[in-house]
Amino acid sequence: MTKPKISSDWMAGCSGCHMSLLDIDERLLEIAELADIRATPITDLKEPDESGVDVGILEGGINNSSNEEVAHRMRSRCKILVAFGDCAVFGGVPALRNMCGTQEALQRAYVDIESNDASGKIPNDPELAVMSNMRAIHEVVDVDLHVPGCPPDPDVIYYVLKELAQGRMPEIKDENLHWH
Amino acid sequence: MKFFRSHVLVSVDPECIEQGAYQIVDALNDELVAQGLIDEIQVLETSRLGDPVRFGPDLVVYPENVHYANLTVDDVPFLVEEHFLKGRVVEKFRAKETVITDDELGAPKAKEVRIVLRNCGKIDPHNIEEYIAEDGYQALANALTTSTPEQVIDEVMHSGLRGRGGAGFPAARKWQLCRQVPDNPIYLTCNADEGDPGAFMNRRVLESDPHSVVEGMIIAAYAIGASMGYVYCRAEYPIAVANLNVAIEQAREFGFLGNNIFGTDFSFDLEVRMGAGAFVCGEETALIASIEGRRGEPRPRPPFPAVKGVWGKPTNNNNVETYAVVPQILLHGADWYSAMGTEKSKGTKTFAIAGDVVNTGLIEVPFGLSLREVIFDVGGGIKDGKKFKAIQTGGPMGGCLVEEHLDLPLDYEALTAAGSMMGSGGLIIMDDETCMVDIARFFMEFTQEESCGKCTPCRVGTRRILDILEKICEGKGTLADIDRLELLCEEVMKNSLCGLGQGAPNPVVSTLKHFREEYIAHVIEKRCPAKVCRALINYEIKSPACTGCMVCARNCPVAAITGERRQTHVIDAKTCIRCGICVQVCNFNAVAVLS
Amino acid sequence: MINLTINGKQIEVEDGTTVLNAARQNDIKIPTLCDHPNLTPYGGCRLCVVEVKGMRVPIASCTLPASNGMVIETETDSLKKSRNVILSLLFSERNHFCPFCQVSGGDCELQNASYDEHMTHWPMQPQWTNFPVDTSHPFFILDNNRCILCRRCIRACAEMSGNFTLGVEERGSATIVVADTNVPLGQSTCVSCGSCVQVCPTGALIDRTSAYLGHDKQMTVTRSVCRGCSLGCGIQIHTRDNRIVKITGDYEAENVGTLCKTGRFLSLDEKRTRLTSPMKRVAGQLTATSWDDALTTLAQNLSPLKGNIAALASTRLSVESLSAFKSLFADGLGSDMVTSIEEGRPTALQAKYVDQNGSAIEGKLDTLRTADCVLLIGADLTTTHEVAGFYIKRNMPKGTRLIIVDPHANGMDDLANINLKPKVGTDEAVFNALEAAVIKEGLARTAEKTSNVSLPDALKVCGLSEEDVTDAARMLAEAVAPVIVYGKGITTSSEASVMDAMLRVAKLIGASDSERRGILSVKGEANSLAAAQLGLDEQLEVRHEAVYVAVGDDYVTKRLVEKLEKVPYLVVQASYESALTEHAHLVLPVNIWAEEAGHALNTEGRLQFAEAALTAPEGVRSNLDVLNEVAKQLGVTVNEDWRTALTKRTSVVELEM
Repeated sequence: MTKPKISSDWMAGCSGCHMSLLDIDERLLEIAELADIRATPITDLKEPDESGVDVGILEGGINNSSNEEVAHRMRSRCKILVAFGDCAVFGGVPALRNMCGTQEALQRAYVDIESNDASGKIPNDPELAVMSNMRAIHEVVDVDLHVPGCPPDPDVIYYVLKELAQGRMPEIKDENLHWH
Repeated sequence: MKFFRSHVLVSVDPECIEQGAYQIVDALNDELVAQGLIDEIQVLETSRLGDPVRFGPDLVVYPENVHYANLTVDDVPFLVEEHFLKGRVVEKFRAKETVITDDELGAPKAKEVRIVLRNCGKIDPHNIEEYIAEDGYQALANALTTSTPEQVIDEVMHSGLRGRGGAGFPAARKWQLCRQVPDNPIYLTCNADEGDPGAFMNRRVLESDPHSVVEGMIIAAYAIGASMGYVYCRAEYPIAVANLNVAIEQAREFGFLGNNIFGTDFSFDLEVRMGAGAFVCGEETALIASIEGRRGEPRPRPPFPAVKGVWGKPTNNNNVETYAVVPQILLHGADWYSAMGTEKSKGTKTFAIAGDVVNTGLIEVPFGLSLREVIFDVGGGIKDGKKFKAIQTGGPMGGCLVEEHLDLPLDYEALTAAGSMMGSGGLIIMDDETCMVDIARFFMEFTQEESCGKCTPCRVGTRRILDILEKICEGKGTLADIDRLELLCEEVMKNSLCGLGQGAPNPVVSTLKHFREEYIAHVIEKRCPAKVCRALINYEIKSPACTGCMVCARNCPVAAITGERRQTHVIDAKTCIRCGICVQVCNFNAVAVLS
Repeated sequence: MINLTINGKQIEVEDGTTVLNAARQNDIKIPTLCDHPNLTPYGGCRLCVVEVKGMRVPIASCTLPASNGMVIETETDSLKKSRNVILSLLFSERNHFCPFCQVSGGDCELQNASYDEHMTHWPMQPQWTNFPVDTSHPFFILDNNRCILCRRCIRACAEMSGNFTLGVEERGSATIVVADTNVPLGQSTCVSCGSCVQVCPTGALIDRTSAYLGHDKQMTVTRSVCRGCSLGCGIQIHTRDNRIVKITGDYEAENVGTLCKTGRFLSLDEKRTRLTSPMKRVAGQLTATSWDDALTTLAQNLSPLKGNIAALASTRLSVESLSAFKSLFADGLGSDMVTSIEEGRPTALQAKYVDQNGSAIEGKLDTLRTADCVLLIGADLTTTHEVAGFYIKRNMPKGTRLIIVDPHANGMDDLANINLKPKVGTDEAVFNALEAAVIKEGLARTAEKTSNVSLPDALKVCGLSEEDVTDAARMLAEAVAPVIVYGKGITTSSEASVMDAMLRVAKLIGASDSERRGILSVKGEANSLAAAQLGLDEQLEVRHEAVYVAVGDDYVTKRLVEKLEKVPYLVVQASYESALTEHAHLVLPVNIWAEEAGHALNTEGRLQFAEAALTAPEGVRSNLDVLNEVAKQLGVTVNEDWRTALTKRTSVVELEM
């Protein structure tokens, strides 16, 4: 039987969840034995296989239209989609800007902030994706598994990956939910 | 009592008052005195006669039954001279259309049996003697002097009278439960909060025949052994509150309230307590909280109000209509009452018909009439020749019924079995230009606003349900939203603390059941089949119908229409706010509404 | 007894038990949020709904009385689904941002409840509208973004402190917790008792001092006794790294979790400078020295003065310390001026009365909690002994009446049913007037002969109107369980005969009889009664060559400093720098209240052991140790049997040792 394929990607996140994933240390080798780790933002391949993967992991929430594309792409190419970390699960820290509005947040970050000089202005670049309210992944595509945490605990990540690698759906509860 | 040859009933509906109704009353009295007719002609104040916008200020003269409209104070001397002195009807003052079309309460329509509404519009609510002349307080006298409380309960039990507030619990059984509680004092409350939008049955009775309610309450108090009663009347009915207070005062003067009524050792007094704008206070435990001066929030039951109600004492709560009919039952007997209606729903019920029918307004019919009869016979059928789509019964907590239900009898069991409820008697009839998703949204908006906020499912759940309905009406809904809608409706209905939350999702559930395809159209096709939801409709000017007369362009409030004279005009969909003015002003039916 | 079945288990409970409590008593867990074991059930969050056989819909178990034959299920799939939906609704109602909330990770009941349901996320979005955050209060913050409208805070404000400041405004999803008529908390009628903060299940009400200092499970919790006043409320001291993080009320103690601002917040608001080294005056300057040197210096200076040393102790010190203090200075050194800093002001009057009359006259705090009419005379319970005031205030909506007699403005004047403002110093006449009025109205409970006092005479002295006094007399006499509460307004200014007058009234109105003693005095600080029992209640007269002041961590009044600043040799045993230590010739640094274990005897005679929760800084010693050392230095053996010492004198209230 072929090993299940796992791929990950990130959107509006800080990459901390992937760092936490790396914090499973040598257990990563165990996972690599059980599953075929394909494209991730921290490995060479950059896009999940067009032929599809079994498990798609997404860190970060949906901030703009390019994030949306990433989310749709992963959703269409994987069987089980995992929302990885608080930003992916409900919006996380970037979602705080929903409280004051995207425009105000941009104004503060690019113009008013103390570390800027008077020439600060909000970029008006056509390459820059359309900004929208920060959204959790499940508001845009169907999510099969949510792994909360900021970042999720490495032990929890190890447990989740091990279960998924063996074809089982992990149940995150009790100590794994209470860890922080 | 004086006998007059003529009675002049002047409408003192709030809108008529604004137009000078009181001045007309004064002018009439002055003129009648001046003409020496004051002992023959009596001027009375009554509630609405005809639509005040079209007829106000107006009055009707009995026994001729002549309706004069749009009167001014200057008209009065001529009117008195012509009509009362010379006996000639003044045609130029006469109302141009027959009163019945917009009359709140004209002559009874076919199939109506007026028991609760028998005195409305006929007697002066400020004059107890006129009530007495209509056999008023006779039932009370009989009950107190010749019957025991148990006998009174028995009679009402046999009549089959069910509470008219909505739940339909047998009234006499409620009284019995309360009577049996070994605690005192016992209180009586009357739910006159009538919060359902479009319901004004209770209002009519309270304004026009308050004594029927007062007498009914005293009889009920005797039956259960209560010593004090409260009429909880919504503050939005100032005339009802005023008329109740006048009636109570007069009843006291006549010895029908107070100590040792009719020389027996039964004492009872009544007080009016006003609401403060909360629909939830129509729920009996919230009503009780409000009477006690606390925040109007329901509380869990048990203990039930019959055991622990006002100030922690046994309390019996009934609706205005329930009390109003009690004297008639005692006067004419239980058999007379139970002869009307169906097997389980006895007697008559008032209904407020609203919506797309020819005859809107109050009616009173025996239970058992079919919905078809009510809509098409009594209601006069759908207005403007349109088609019947649905009828909403039971107010914001009720469900809608459709074509297949039209032959159902109007009774408690049948309506509940069909997925709706009797409620307080509001009937809203909808034609095929009604969007059922919008209707569900409308009702949910109401219940969301009125939720007291105590329990999570109602407070937050109705908000989430409303969010989804708004999203759907704006064309942003998804199929997942409909699934979530169904889940939320089920959970809110199951877990809410009181009837408001338990019933609030009902309109959504029943419209989803009968009109699911409309929801799907909104969600998948982004189309509103009834062409109501603004975000989903477009106005288009059709050629060759359009003659380029430019009337629509001139009237468009946002200048969305452009076009040359004699050329087909064009509506800019982005600017258009879908107000519909262009449709109304176009004389050529050239504006089409598309979805 | 009621028999019912829950999840197939047959159980038996008392009549009147709710289904929730029936489950709790039998180790069956039903999740709750708005419920709190010490507050009346609310039934609003709906998390505790259970399925009852025969009932159409699930019912909230917290408000459902158990009845015979009930069959309840608490773990069906349908209920689990409902709980999930209810919790999701709560999360989506406001802005619950767990990542940066300090109660996240174990101290948030909302989060814990959702973890119990194995929820890793919730399927709806937060509100994204800003709810107001009220930071105007000095001790805590109200963040409406985290509020789940469980109304515990409102119920606590009503049922624990009886202050009724918190309420809700608007309805439905616009409902919001507000203070008074929606004024900032810092400008409201809030008395800072902190009950609301204690019961809040989420991070909506945050105590400023303890925020972000760690989770509850990282704290050490010590059950102890508050030393703020003579009520001796049970407290839980939460410490971390030898620092008090917060103080909460002990639900297992008499006060059942209720505290006032003094006990909960002010004890942490310390601004004085701590003394960490003994100091002696050398060439006019206070200089640090070693304990050995300090004690030697003390012996050198005090030994020759043996009989000529006055001694004062703070009544915040433990019973053990006070007893040792007395044994050392009064018995051992034979000093004629050994007293407390209170100088008997709150206790001497009634103590001397009982010396002569032989038996206790006061009752327990429980009589106050169950009183249906309270006569409050000479005490303002809004400035000190606040919890006693709470006991009265929280019962007033249930019908308890309050009569206040106070010539000055009293903090509870607005609440009182009757307000009597007599002339200053006429308390005895007030009691006489009440006595005469009760008899005149024929309401006397006991068959007393006609009083010797005439009503008009008494009224003339105190300046009250006959109508007011009669109303008060009637209210008291018609009450089933009246209680008289008195304080320093009586004890500092009156003649002993006022006690007789008070007791006569108490008998007439049925406050005092063979079954209950409805009389209480609030006394002074923590060990006020113990000091009285040890005879440390003389008025201070300084004519001595040396004075020893065991201040402990107490505050020092200007009046006291003025009395002592000219003393030739002043020794101060204290925790903090003060105007007094500045004048001292020898300063010995000692523990604060939380560092020293010891007993406290509260105003109702109950002896409680107060645990220590902190370790004192290096160089600081316990009050008891220092007194014992001093005794050794001066050749005195301290009698360690403080229990016998306490019971030598008849107490004004029965002691529970």
